[in-house]
Amino acid sequence: MLPLAGCASHKTEPQVAQPQPQTVATQPETPEPVAEPQEPAASKPTASSPAPGEAAPAGTPATAPVPSGATQATKPATTPAPNGANPAPKAATKTAPPVARAPTPPVRPPKPAAAPVASTVAAPLDLAALKEKLKATKAIGVFTKISLKNQVDDLMKQFSDHYQGKGKTTTMPELRRAYDLLLMKVLSLLQDSDQTLASEVVSSREAIWGLLSDPKKFATLQG
Amino acid sequence: MNKLTLVVARSLVMAALFAVPLFADDDEALKKDLTAVIALQGLPCGQVVAVTELAKDDYAATCKDGNKYRVYMNADGRVVVEKRK
Repeated sequence: MLPLAGCASHKTEPQVAQPQPQTVATQPETPEPVAEPQEPAASKPTASSPAPGEAAPAGTPATAPVPSGATQATKPATTPAPNGANPAPKAATKTAPPVARAPTPPVRPPKPAAAPVASTVAAPLDLAALKEKLKATKAIGVFTKISLKNQVDDLMKQFSDHYQGKGKTTTMPELRRAYDLLLMKVLSLLQDSDQTLASEVVSSREAIWGLLSDPKKFATLQG
Repeated sequence: MNKLTLVVARSLVMAALFAVPLFADDDEALKKDLTAVIALQGLPCGQVVAVTELAKDDYAATCKDGNKYRVYMNADGRVVVEKRK
């Protein structure tokens, strides 16, 4: 958001030509809620089902233990097939399929949940570069940039008032809502004509919020 | 009419033909810009279909839905959108 504060100003600033290093870890407080809820979701069914290594091979119908409604016909089928390589006896395959098919989907390994987490870890926030890019983009017209800058300034003032306890103070959730709304406006303007910048703004979203929501960091921005 | 006059006349015609699309592009960009400004203020418009320049950084915009606005920059550097009758 802060880069927007200067996007419409005419003063020239030294160009920061850093090529956005892709290092990790400026965003310690970035919440990554995606991974955690999925972890239990994937692991819950596995608790009732056998270990992934056992269940994956061809012997799935035989090895899968039935949680509650296990018929007695399947129980003998599970015991003789401890090794997945051994095909289940014909007698077992006849009775097992309807019962054993159900538990197979939850055996999915939780790896895919971890992969997005690694890819969404944000690059370090380079406010100056982002500001320059927003200034330079042709996806937003001059008047719109000025109007956005006005709104950014208003939001900054709201933050300032909030931290100083001045006037009608807004709560942090309200400020977050205003911040999100403003960012949505910026993104809606960028996403069609300058997708790369839009994605940079998205990836910087939490890092910028981290600066705004911390009174000490915010004070350094103001100065 | 001598040859030189003819050449100049042709050049002017050609220049005019190329200049019109350029102005049209600028006009479209301005309409788009004002559409975004009006939308940013949360005012109904849809799309700006006509713009008249009243002064520097001061425009009268007519929207597709019939609304009319004056969009200008005030002395404080703020973009102001005023509804017009």
